Amino acid sequence: MILKRNIMKKKPNKIKESAADYAAKIFKAKKDFHKEQAKLPIEEKIKILIELQKIVLKTQKQERGETIRQVWKI
Amino acid sequence: MRKTLQIIDRMHKEGLFKKYAIGGGIASLFYIEPIATFDLDIFVILPKSEEVLLSLSPLYDWLREKKCKLVKEHIVIEGIPVQFIPVYNELVKEAVLKAVRKKYEGISTFVLKPEYLMAIMLDTNRAKDRERIVKMSDEAEISADLLNKILTAHGLLTAYNDFKKKYYEKETK
Repeated sequence: MILKRNIMKKKPNKIKESAADYAAKIFKAKKDFHKEQAKLPIEEKIKILIELQKIVLKTQKQERGETIRQVWKI
Repeated sequence: MRKTLQIIDRMHKEGLFKKYAIGGGIASLFYIEPIATFDLDIFVILPKSEEVLLSLSPLYDWLREKKCKLVKEHIVIEGIPVQFIPVYNELVKEAVLKAVRKKYEGISTFVLKPEYLMAIMLDTNRAKDRERIVKMSDEAEISADLLNKILTAHGLLTAYNDFKKKYYEKETK
């Protein structure tokens, strides 16, 4: 509730940032997010990798037809 | 992956190779956020690596006995396509010799250090290698001192400086 009230208090016309500064802040946040992802335990990363493999193969099959690549069976 | 690593470690203990280490995309995964990759690269120092002609036959024969199937240039071990790559130059050999022990689900294995991975990527220099160098620089904990020593020793310092100039010029201005 406190958070919601604080958000409500902020008026858009009071933002004095330039678009470039705002974008820089977004990119910095993205970079920090990737850094945090890099700290995940390897076991978690392998789980994500398998999900990524599924997505890549699905896209490749749609675009190029069959592929010899396979999702890891672990 | 657990069983795959156990089998690879068993191969090492049975003397099929003197030393091994995970390289490529999976090694990167230990240091950066997950990236899509499909094979497990294992760099190996073979027992007779000093000879001009080396053979991977003993490795593949051993694995075929364990019912592992060959699929193109990979051998599928417990559901994972593995590629055994004999060390092909001094940089890769040194990288394997200096690999670090890491654990995966309690299984101990060897993984290339991030600084060696970066040097190998710089040497290989494919599009995906360049992409991974940027990710390693941004996300991994890299010892600038060690990286510098490796790059200098293997004649890659100029290539690295050129790379930094190309990819980070705007940020360093």
